[in-house]
Amino acid sequence: MASRRIWRTLAAPGLLWLIAFFLVAFYAVVAVGLGNVTTLFEPVPHWNPLDWNVGYLWQAVQDVVPGGVTWPVVVRTVLYIAVAMALSLLIGYPVAYYAARYAGRSSGIVLVLLVLPFWISYIMRMFAWTNLLAPDGYASKALNALSIDSLFGALGLMDGSDWLGGQPITVILALVYGYVPFFILPLYASLDRLDHRLIEASRDLGASPAESFRRVILPLSWPGILAGMVLIALPMFGDYFTQDLMSGSPNTNMIGNAINGYVQGGPDKSLGAALTILLSLFLLVFMGFYLRSLRREQRGTA
Amino acid sequence: MSGDIRLEELTKIYGDVLAVDAIDLHIPPGEFFTMLGPSGCGKTSTLRLIAGFERPDGGAVILDGLDVSRTPPHKRNVNTVFQSYALFPHRTVEQNVAFGLRYKRVGGDEARRRVADAMELVRLGGMADRRPGQLSGGQQQRVALARALVLEPPVLLLDEPLGALDARLRVDLQVELKRIQEQLAVTFVYVTHDQDEALTMSDRVAVMREGRIEQCATPQELYEEPATAFVANFLGAANLIPVASQPGVRGTELALGSFRLRCEAEGAPHGEAVAMIRPEYVRLEPHGAEGENRLPGMVEEVVYLGFHQDVRVRLATGALVRADVPNDGEAPEYQQGDAVAVHLRARNLRVLAGDGERAVQDAQAAAAPEPAGTA
Amino acid sequence: MTTTAAPTTSRAPARTGRLRLRRDPWGHPRGLAIVTWIYILWSLAPVLLAIRFAFNEGRSRSAAQGWSLRWFWQDPTLSVFHDPTLRSALEQSLKLAGLAMLIATPLGVGLALGLQRWRGRGSGTTNRLTLLPLVTPELVFAVGLFLLFTTAFSFIGLGTTAQVIGHVTFSVSFVVVIVRGRLQTIGGDIEEAAADLGAPPWEVVRRVLLPLLLPAIAASLLIVFALSIDDFVVSQYLASGADTTTVPMRIYAQARAAPTPALNALATLMLAATLLALALAYAVFRVLTRGERGGRSALGQLASLEATIDAGGTK
Repeated sequence: MASRRIWRTLAAPGLLWLIAFFLVAFYAVVAVGLGNVTTLFEPVPHWNPLDWNVGYLWQAVQDVVPGGVTWPVVVRTVLYIAVAMALSLLIGYPVAYYAARYAGRSSGIVLVLLVLPFWISYIMRMFAWTNLLAPDGYASKALNALSIDSLFGALGLMDGSDWLGGQPITVILALVYGYVPFFILPLYASLDRLDHRLIEASRDLGASPAESFRRVILPLSWPGILAGMVLIALPMFGDYFTQDLMSGSPNTNMIGNAINGYVQGGPDKSLGAALTILLSLFLLVFMGFYLRSLRREQRGTA
Repeated sequence: MSGDIRLEELTKIYGDVLAVDAIDLHIPPGEFFTMLGPSGCGKTSTLRLIAGFERPDGGAVILDGLDVSRTPPHKRNVNTVFQSYALFPHRTVEQNVAFGLRYKRVGGDEARRRVADAMELVRLGGMADRRPGQLSGGQQQRVALARALVLEPPVLLLDEPLGALDARLRVDLQVELKRIQEQLAVTFVYVTHDQDEALTMSDRVAVMREGRIEQCATPQELYEEPATAFVANFLGAANLIPVASQPGVRGTELALGSFRLRCEAEGAPHGEAVAMIRPEYVRLEPHGAEGENRLPGMVEEVVYLGFHQDVRVRLATGALVRADVPNDGEAPEYQQGDAVAVHLRARNLRVLAGDGERAVQDAQAAAAPEPAGTA
Repeated sequence: MTTTAAPTTSRAPARTGRLRLRRDPWGHPRGLAIVTWIYILWSLAPVLLAIRFAFNEGRSRSAAQGWSLRWFWQDPTLSVFHDPTLRSALEQSLKLAGLAMLIATPLGVGLALGLQRWRGRGSGTTNRLTLLPLVTPELVFAVGLFLLFTTAFSFIGLGTTAQVIGHVTFSVSFVVVIVRGRLQTIGGDIEEAAADLGAPPWEVVRRVLLPLLLPAIAASLLIVFALSIDDFVVSQYLASGADTTTVPMRIYAQARAAPTPALNALATLMLAATLLALALAYAVFRVLTRGERGGRSALGQLASLEATIDAGGTK
């Protein structure tokens, strides 16, 4: 159409807004992380790439490699997230599978109930657990009555009976609770698109339910599983509030807490920014891996 | 403002696909003109170029003497009826039809009158307050038509408007469209892939293929005197036989293997060519019949079609010929294996140049008997 | 559509007996169903309990104690209505949500419209830019905005304005997705038809596109509202003091202290606002698109039959 101007005019305000408050915000992280500080340790961003100062970035790198100050936090974060992702898969896959294939008549209700957690504030969902895991809360009492606390204690996952007192297991389980809905939904969408006739064909050819699952359904589910995993891993790496709410102890600090501490807490905003840069790069690489494996999947199944 | 359309070397490229290849066309005012062809042949692209939804990459669109190639659609004096009707769902039928009148500065009573007239014309009276969602396909089509015609355009473009309707409705609406066009003397530019539709309604038809016009003529000419094998094949059934052609006494001499055929037409292409004859003009005579243009052959398959038989005969040269034999009580009932003489009348043979290769293969494939065992 | 057990399954040993799957291969796997419903229970029960405690008569946040509305407004000092910190949190949340929805929606609608038709240079990049906020971790984004408003944009500084800007920025992408979906449903033909009938581009937008987009616009407003109310990280980073605290921030700050169920009441109110917004979004969308689904009442069908007869039997 000859008059294209109107479309550009309509998109312009939104575009300018996103540039000003999104792109530039990212660039601010870079400029501060690669910048300097005043005598009062307030950050001085270096907007010009030629002025970039790698001092803080270098410091951040040194902190996160083995032997550095933040290294234990990194290890812990990766560990917590890995366990949380594994548990999410264990819990989430059967639920997504059921919802996608069998829910049938009640599928509308099931779907609504699965989507509901999205719209309940994450903070509120964690808050609900602080009610229940307080020393006199229903969950605490029930778990301790069943001696789960000593069980975990024996496994080295817990120290004492206070579920909210700096316990790694609480943080991990809270992460699972918080993010598993975000895993289930994309997985559900992907499983829903599976061609059921493939499964029927496999059964028709004589495979038992277990074999059909292992040889047909599971391989076909991989793209959905990967998508779900990536979708929850990204925000988990930036999470700091779960730990704050459910533990409150520096023993269970995650990388998000480290960054949060530097930026909002103390006099080291520049270091915080540099750490944020490193985190973003890591996540980009992570995303890159995912996208590449996705493309390989697509080519393989084509 | 008469509705005269001229396309000069009109070209459109999408990515690396040449959709419209330097087309030259002149459509005089008041003509019912159809662009016919398989999907991807460029007919819809050409229509959109005339409407203004696309800008040409080369050449020009000239309406009533004015070059409108760069003019946006809302400024062109052309209206379109879409295949999907494109009615405004949030407005009633009356509001839909009245939509464009505001841009012609027609309002109030005048507008109401014109809307009522347009709805009368398409026989949609009484539906004024309905919403498109409440109408059937045929009714929606009429609303789309009324909405365009109420603006009294000199040119109306129709993009496969009857494609989504069932066969019976389609035939009814074809008659209606023709009636309306004749009544209003508006230039219609119609796009379709359905050859029956094209032949029924049009004053002239352009058969298109791969962005180019293969032949542009009246329906009769296209059927009786196709210019290429593609056109011959596209409109009705055709027997296409590769021959060697040279000028001869009283017409053109065709060599088919060791046989010689005479074709009455002169000035036919020479050298490697394609002989074309419609199945209804192929005469089957008893084996051994004497005379020019008779070839021995054996019946390979007979398809009984009620009032006629489709007899497929394999010639001694290997070519397959379809004959359409009426069951009028005089013709014998042919059976597989019968030996016959195939008479290709000189008067009905045509010699074509053109993409012999592919069109011939298509025709032979269409004529070949189905292998045993397939549905 | 259940079939009787096929011969193959009679071979299958009862190793899945623990989960008690039915033998019928096409039937309903009760084991999975149970797992799913247990999950749903586990997922929602804590929140339901938290809401229950909000209505406690007593001060406990971990046990049910009677029924009362005291924590909402009756208690003269500690209820949400009377406690200034709680009340201001509620007000701030509502204020931010209201402003965010009014700003993010027009920006998003314009972007969606423009992107749909923009075929020139830069359209692909703009497209990607629009979807980027959806995959960005909140912490990274919040840190960026925080640094931005404390350095280059310090004339804006931290506070309500910054919070609104932050909310709008991550909400715009959602609006674009919603509006785009609606544009797909509408289809491109309608725009071309309007232009073909003589409408210049601005009139096409005004008379045809915007009215048809109304359901998506309404839905967007309400969804941005819900997103804004639930937001935590961005709000926290861009806050400038007690009066810019939002409900999630307040809950976060007080959760581990020894608060009263008033905090639960606050959380309940926030949840109620979100769910109300969502329910409205759904209802409004359905109502506004009702005409397009073309449902005919019995009366309507009768009327159309009449008209058909009038029109001489041609359909």
